[in-house]
Amino acid sequence: MSLKRTIPMTTVSGFGVSAVFILTILNILMQNMPSNIYRAGDELLKLNATDGVANSVTTVVVYFRGFDTLGEIAVLFIASLGIGLMLTNNNLNNISQENSNFMLQIGAKLLSPVIFIFGLYIMIYGHLSVGGGFQGGVIIASGILLLLISSNGFHISHKFVEIFETLAGVSYVVIGLIGLIILDSFLGNFLPYDISKMGLLLSGGIIPIIYIIVGIKVGSEMSVIVDNMLKRNIDD
Amino acid sequence: MLGLVILSSFISIILIAFKTIIEPKLSHTIVLSMGIGLNAVILFVAFQAPDVALTQAVIGIGISSVILLMGLKHLGGNYES
Amino acid sequence: MIETLLNFLNQEEVLQVIIVIGSMILFFIGLFGILTQRHFIKIFISIEIMEIAIFIFFIGLAFQKGKTAPMLGDGITKFINMNDPIPHAMILTAIVIGMAVLALGVSMAIEYNKLTGITTIDKMNGLKN
Repeated sequence: MSLKRTIPMTTVSGFGVSAVFILTILNILMQNMPSNIYRAGDELLKLNATDGVANSVTTVVVYFRGFDTLGEIAVLFIASLGIGLMLTNNNLNNISQENSNFMLQIGAKLLSPVIFIFGLYIMIYGHLSVGGGFQGGVIIASGILLLLISSNGFHISHKFVEIFETLAGVSYVVIGLIGLIILDSFLGNFLPYDISKMGLLLSGGIIPIIYIIVGIKVGSEMSVIVDNMLKRNIDD
Repeated sequence: MLGLVILSSFISIILIAFKTIIEPKLSHTIVLSMGIGLNAVILFVAFQAPDVALTQAVIGIGISSVILLMGLKHLGGNYES
Repeated sequence: MIETLLNFLNQEEVLQVIIVIGSMILFFIGLFGILTQRHFIKIFISIEIMEIAIFIFFIGLAFQKGKTAPMLGDGITKFINMNDPIPHAMILTAIVIGMAVLALGVSMAIEYNKLTGITTIDKMNGLKN
């Protein structure tokens, strides 16, 4: 075993994570607690009707508890980084090249587009029905897992996935900062939202956009985790 | 009817969990743990929490068992504990 | 006979008793597994059983009979007479974190096995030598 292992994330993503932490701490220091919310559940449900989002779990996850979602994404990133550090194998020559089952190959070709479309649907319609970014991202990662175990020639390029991941993480913070500049609160809903349009796809302001960003981030991290678990060389 | 669904799901999840703990073969253990997740999905639907049910179905049954199976493969086959 | 049994089970207090006792039994089954089993995979599965018990307990305490899911839909146009969405959001994040921690633990076990060749915790006595 060689001790020399490359960290599979670029320094850009490292800067992104440190920026997330610094901005979160600054925001917690700068924000005031609202003093008019005494009971959590019913008051939040009444407030929720002003945001134009049908699924109130989405509102709680993305809007009222947006900081916690940011922290949770950071935890997922650190877990993915740790798995990549432990299981990254630079020697790709010894990976077994035998073909998978014929039925599995044909079935994966038929099923994988359906799985991807289902994951995208769940991710995009998270503010109108059951679902959201976490579930949709994991469904897309399971589709990638199906492609990885079925076909020999399919490899996900880690550079591409890192670009997705970095863009998603940075845009989350950027949207939050725009809300801070315009509306004086982190993740403020600065896009126009109309209660009478509740139920349409383009409703709810920034809430569906943020859930789609969360979905991209979770999907890319899960794909990297699954790829690292599969590509591990046994015989070194 | 709701009480019967909840009671039978609890009985089933407890029996499967006990069988999971005392089962000697590890691959059987992982498949039985998927049964625990499936019963938990039924309970979450009965408790009117469809978001949590979908998350448990995708993550707790799908990805977790894949990760455990990969770990079992790398840790060396069907070891009997 | 069947009618009286179903009506007895549908009472709110009976449902809460079933939820509390059932999830506690499930939790202690997981604890029993952690204390008695020795293989890494068995211990991870026991931790997963304990996690699921806590999720069921948390969601079940927030459940009130007769209230719907916190979501607008066909025929439901107002946010009244619904369950509390905050426990749902917390458990939704907790499930994702539990999966990430499980994957990290499994990868640590794989790396430890690669370095030493040990798969059970009763042979982990490296500090003794």
